[in-house]
Amino acid sequence: MTAWALLAAVALLGAGSAACAAPRTFRAGVAMQACGAALLGAAGFLAFASGTTFGSLFTSGMTPRFGVDGLTAFFLGMLGLVAAPTLAFAGRYLVPGARGGIIACLTGVFVLTLAEVLCARDPLTFLAGWELMTLLPAALILVGRSDESARRTVFLYIAVTHIAGAGTWIAVLLAAHAGVVDGARVLTPGSGVQIAIAVAALVGMGTKAGLMPLHSWLPRAHPIAPAPVSALMSGVMIKVAVYGLVRVLVDWLGVLPLWFGALVLSVGALSAVGGVVYALFQHDLKRLLAFHSIENVGIIVLGLGACLLLHTRGSETWAALALAAALLHTLNHAVFKSLLFLGAGAFERSVGSLELNRLGGLLRRMPWTGGAFLVGSLAIAGLPPLNGFASEWLTLQALVHVPAFGGLGDGLAGALGLAALAATAALAVFCFVKVVGLVLLGPPRRTAVAQADEAPLPMRVAVVALASACVVLGIVPGLLVASLARLAPWPVSIPTSFALRLPGTGSLPTVAIALVLGLLGSALFALRGRRVAATAPTWACGQLVEPQLAWTSAGFTKPLRLVLEAVLRPEREIAVHAEGGVVQEVSYRGRVPHLIDERLYAPAVRSALTAARHARRLQTGRLGTYLGYLIALVLVLLAAAKAGVIG
Amino acid sequence: MSGVSAASVAVELGGGVLLAPLLPGLVQHWKARLQGRRGPSPLQPFRELRRLWGKSAVDPTGSSLVYRSAPTIVASSLTAAVLLVPVSARAPALGVGRDMLVLGGLLALARFAVAAAAWDVANGFSLMGASRDLTIAVSTEATLVLALAVGALVAGTTSLSGMIAGTAGGGVWSNPALGLAAVAFALVLVAETGRQPIDNPDTHLELTMIHEGPLLEYAGRDLAYLQWSAAVRHWLVLVLAAQVFLPHAQSAWEQLGVLPLVLVVLCAGLALTETLTAKMRILLAPRLLALGGIAALLGVASWLVQLT
Repeated sequence: MTAWALLAAVALLGAGSAACAAPRTFRAGVAMQACGAALLGAAGFLAFASGTTFGSLFTSGMTPRFGVDGLTAFFLGMLGLVAAPTLAFAGRYLVPGARGGIIACLTGVFVLTLAEVLCARDPLTFLAGWELMTLLPAALILVGRSDESARRTVFLYIAVTHIAGAGTWIAVLLAAHAGVVDGARVLTPGSGVQIAIAVAALVGMGTKAGLMPLHSWLPRAHPIAPAPVSALMSGVMIKVAVYGLVRVLVDWLGVLPLWFGALVLSVGALSAVGGVVYALFQHDLKRLLAFHSIENVGIIVLGLGACLLLHTRGSETWAALALAAALLHTLNHAVFKSLLFLGAGAFERSVGSLELNRLGGLLRRMPWTGGAFLVGSLAIAGLPPLNGFASEWLTLQALVHVPAFGGLGDGLAGALGLAALAATAALAVFCFVKVVGLVLLGPPRRTAVAQADEAPLPMRVAVVALASACVVLGIVPGLLVASLARLAPWPVSIPTSFALRLPGTGSLPTVAIALVLGLLGSALFALRGRRVAATAPTWACGQLVEPQLAWTSAGFTKPLRLVLEAVLRPEREIAVHAEGGVVQEVSYRGRVPHLIDERLYAPAVRSALTAARHARRLQTGRLGTYLGYLIALVLVLLAAAKAGVIG
Repeated sequence: MSGVSAASVAVELGGGVLLAPLLPGLVQHWKARLQGRRGPSPLQPFRELRRLWGKSAVDPTGSSLVYRSAPTIVASSLTAAVLLVPVSARAPALGVGRDMLVLGGLLALARFAVAAAAWDVANGFSLMGASRDLTIAVSTEATLVLALAVGALVAGTTSLSGMIAGTAGGGVWSNPALGLAAVAFALVLVAETGRQPIDNPDTHLELTMIHEGPLLEYAGRDLAYLQWSAAVRHWLVLVLAAQVFLPHAQSAWEQLGVLPLVLVVLCAGLALTETLTAKMRILLAPRLLALGGIAALLGVASWLVQLT
């Protein structure tokens, strides 16, 4: 039954995508795509809830196999939940014409590819889907815009994801070779093969997930894609990489050594803190959101690292709960990040540029989109009673339990992860106060913003649907957590309830907290009354309030920039032009350089280019030289064979 | 419900909701005395709340629902936090659970609401205060969670009432983990209550404000909610300091009986610190709090060492 529903969803998506390409059937095609995605999500969550497994199991063979198990079903549900509103949004966001049609068609194919990676049950199908998943967004970006900077970014994206993405190939093929894919063999903990697979997977899949320091492509590629594609990339594509990590590290590799768990934990902590810190100093909305994806993948990987450490320490219940925390945050982030990217797309469509300092007051002009965007911001900031809070709470709990079950080294790693996550949560609040303030609140900062029009109905419906998902997932996370913990390949029993009542915690009764906050809030708001003496201008120490006094993104984050000066090394230039003792002009330029790009990648690229220049000397273009090379090679090989090194 | 549970609930609600304004009142009173002034009566915050309650609100031009609802959001999340923080080991859960990590979320919600309101009225001084508050909150939150985590490790649960039971006795003197966590929490206490050397609650100069800055535009009942919430913040952290990080009795009745005394002593301590220290440079405050975080981390390390 569920299998048929999945097949029907795939057929609908495929047919819809084909129909999109022609302008006449564009609307019908998009509607079919959205219905297909909705069906995919429903079938996925249904299969996840009922715990059914169908289709093939994992094989090491090279013939195409497909199947669905609990983990796949959960990610399929997530894919559908995000893709349905995104595709509905795309139907109005894109202009039905040559480019719009191709983008809509490729977006549908992109969703199908993601589903294919999730359902693949043999190494080749998985890797083929993985490559297609990397290439399709590149094509989508280039169809959307083909200027010089977009082409350079796409080149960088493909280069980084392919060089580091080789890790995925190594990990999957090595795992198939070692016989752990079909569960035929269990590797000894700490053996060379196991470590090789684990490290290769962390590098390859971590690059695709946007983990620091391999994230360089993400904040460049995500902002320039069309909004629905950005939503799918940040919302689902990097989550498919998380799926890969969970599959390899938790499902296939068994018990990993402690140091590897600590390594995963530290990579997660670095991504979480680094992502949000750099997000704070971005002044373009979509770029800022892209940095937040790095932060949230960091939080997910913190949960995953806690899971590995706790599993090695033999605490099976909390290891499963840490896995559940990582997966729950994966789902939550998929929902609110796609909401935020779609909201940003709606704003861009109405007002043009998304430069943060030139927006303002959009909540008044676009109440539906703005309201949904506000809910998404509260959720990503991890505030109760929304969904981001529930999964961050569970991740924090998992990290508290790492020292509780651990030794000195892994215990301290857990405590550091805990501090990093707490600081990340506070920084995310800081960042999204800034976003909400600059985008939604205050006076509009340019004419186009003051005259912005609300988005058309399908786009409004899409963002409001995702915002309600944020609320619902925040109120009933308990229903998911028990089933998510059961995805761990070791037996656990955790009771299902609306609230998160877990052993060793003070419990998180999400429903009660939402009720208390809602009821108290409305009661106190009613008590406040409506008596207003007068409207008065804002207090500016007696000065007139002028547009020039408006606070900017850089101004609001300045205290933090100064506190972190030693680490971030911000650059600042002020030129004062005075004539006859009177200041005529002051120009200011400031930026926060991206340290990993400038200190790690730039030197690496420079030395690679230098090496290439040296290597070019070998290419003389003369036939004699090449014959000499060949003879030398043959001689070396013969000598090696004689010495018994090869053959 | 047993007698001691009922008494705990009564103390928690009565103290947290009704008597909390007495705490900042006491600090102000003693601070004035220590500085050789007569100063206001400890009941002054109540009088101010009554006065504000009778006044009407003022809406700045261009403000929206975000500005108008911020004080209610702050007050309701702080009330939820009162329901969360127990006064004795036997306090039953009051709906919102008793988990230590929920506290951070509720305080963050209040911070978000106030800072968003500052953006809504686009007041430069409010925004200045909000951005400083959020900067300091980064290290405060990390230190708070780490300090509480030490308590949780010692007690074996992250439930606050479980932690009161698990840390009972003079553990803070004999157990270096708890001692270090207490040092960290002391810094959090100063930051969360907005007192010197982190912030100066008495300042009337907009440029030096942190917590007061975002409240500049408010009047009437809105301001009453916000001032009451600031008092409740005192209650929350002082109760946690008294019942988790300072030596406290084993039996719940004794915990309840001694609590008022400890709160009064802690208020006197705050008054003394305010008299003896000057406000530090705002940009140095996060460093001080980060030192607290390091202390708490050492606390975790020493707990782990004891274990092996």
